[in-house]
Amino acid sequence: MIEVKNLRKVFRIHQKPPGLLASIRSLFHRQYVDKVAVAGADFSVGEGEIVGMIGANGAGKTTLVKMLSGIVHPTSGEARVLGYNPWEKHNDLRRQISLIMGQKAQLWWDLPGADCFELLREIYQIPRPEYESNLKRLTEMLQVEDELNTQIRRLSLGERMKMELIAALLHSPRVVYLDEPTIGLDITTQKAVRDFLLSYRQDHAPAMILTSHYMEDIERLCERIIIIREGELVYDGNLQRVIHEYAPYKQLTVHLNRAETAAVDKDYLDRIGEVMEEQAGTIVLRIPRNQVTSAAAEILRKFSVQDLSIADPEISEIIELIMGGKEKPQT
Amino acid sequence: MNPALFLHLMSIESRRLLSYRVDFWITMILTLIVQLVVIWALWTAIFAESGKDIVAGWDLQGILAYGVFVFLTGRVVRGGDLQMAVATEIYDGSLSRYLVYPCNYCFTKYAQQLGNIFPDIFQSVLMALLIIPFMESSSTVDLNLTGILMCLPSIFCAHLLFFMMGLIPQMVAFWADNVWSLSVMMRMVTMLIGGATFPLSLFPDSMQSILYMLPFRYLFEFPTLVLLGKVGFEEWITGIVSCLIWCGFFLLLLIPVWRRGTLRYTGVGI
Repeated sequence: MIEVKNLRKVFRIHQKPPGLLASIRSLFHRQYVDKVAVAGADFSVGEGEIVGMIGANGAGKTTLVKMLSGIVHPTSGEARVLGYNPWEKHNDLRRQISLIMGQKAQLWWDLPGADCFELLREIYQIPRPEYESNLKRLTEMLQVEDELNTQIRRLSLGERMKMELIAALLHSPRVVYLDEPTIGLDITTQKAVRDFLLSYRQDHAPAMILTSHYMEDIERLCERIIIIREGELVYDGNLQRVIHEYAPYKQLTVHLNRAETAAVDKDYLDRIGEVMEEQAGTIVLRIPRNQVTSAAAEILRKFSVQDLSIADPEISEIIELIMGGKEKPQT
Repeated sequence: MNPALFLHLMSIESRRLLSYRVDFWITMILTLIVQLVVIWALWTAIFAESGKDIVAGWDLQGILAYGVFVFLTGRVVRGGDLQMAVATEIYDGSLSRYLVYPCNYCFTKYAQQLGNIFPDIFQSVLMALLIIPFMESSSTVDLNLTGILMCLPSIFCAHLLFFMMGLIPQMVAFWADNVWSLSVMMRMVTMLIGGATFPLSLFPDSMQSILYMLPFRYLFEFPTLVLLGKVGFEEWITGIVSCLIWCGFFLLLLIPVWRRGTLRYTGVGI
């Protein structure tokens, strides 16, 4: 449903040095620099797939979403969304896509939700029965039936985001772009939004691209992630596989008897693995995957262990490492 | 754009403005008082100073009527508060939502602009009903039903022309961050050479011949002269056609500006 080939966007940005003199100088002569926002992206998204797009601020996620929704023209490259070129702004395509921007209200501030939705019904030419059944279902799912007649500007952030979601999905789009849809929301509302998106996917199987800084959004909603670093796609694959590819180690946590703690030889621990933490009888070691079983057996043999656990590192930790520049280890 | 959507946009914009009740009445009363005082003080002083009964084809009562009606029709032609809306939407990134919707942005804005003028029409009619009983008769103007009927399409065309002319400087926002000053300057020039301050017949002859070739007079002076019975039927038809030709000209200019502008658009502010 979404095909992207070598998509690239370079912004020309005016540089304004600090100070009054520099401001006066910039009236006559301006300096520009080229900033590569997206450096040749290649990927595709299929029907019913939710792809999480992760990256630090300014990595190029939003620019990519803006290009795919037809808002921004690329510098070079190709993209097809439902067979259309998105920046040609074909109405047949625009009727089938939707963009939700968590940081930017898209509804009409002074109007109640009911008026906004009625206007969107006209914009998307949704048949009346379909509109009414969609609206009823969406408002019930997000529990905002009682807020439909309240002006958007008088709603709380969470209620407003729910209204934005309804507005974006009223016309049952086949492609949905979600740019930080849970930003600033409390935990309960975040969960409600995530549950709602999962349920929408189950019913409509759209292709979805989700950008978010909240790992819980990504872990709950996406099987596949794309990691962007300074405009470049550095990882595109299964969310769980990222651990195996980028973290060839496991975390071994050992709780020892108090009496044993003093007797632990540090050099011995260093030979087994990398000591991450050692305090009050708890030792956390990072051990290569293929050695973790033997290491655990040896520790159990040598010490009086109260408890022992083996776990994969946190996904957020791995992603943070990748975003920070960690390369895929050689296998 | 489908007509139902067009009407819906108009209706929503009108409802939005009419929901600000305090603003509606304060705007009407204050602007009316200020305008009346300025017109009366200015023209009474000019006529007293000149010692003439007729200046450039206008007597005092006639020019006062012009001042009042160019103000009232001008309010409808300019229409509400959308004059910087396009530039603001480009600047703060709100344009993005319209680029995703399956509808034409300029039509959307025009529908909103039309919806925007209903409160102005309502206020202008109310103001006219308040003022007309106190107006003295003039030998140089003739306010009658024919003039009123001929004035309505003239105002409609003027409104369309004002909208089209206003869009281009606003779209400079695609290239420059802040076009507020450009828009204000354009507005002042348009008001002056469009006859919103005084009739163009008060300009020197050489300037008049240039001003009559430009589109600005169709915005304010032409509809007011039609209303005051100073335009014959043939001249009225010619005026309407000329106004529409200018609309077509600005539309042709607008299309490449929009295309090039959206190529540069970055959607910042999102």
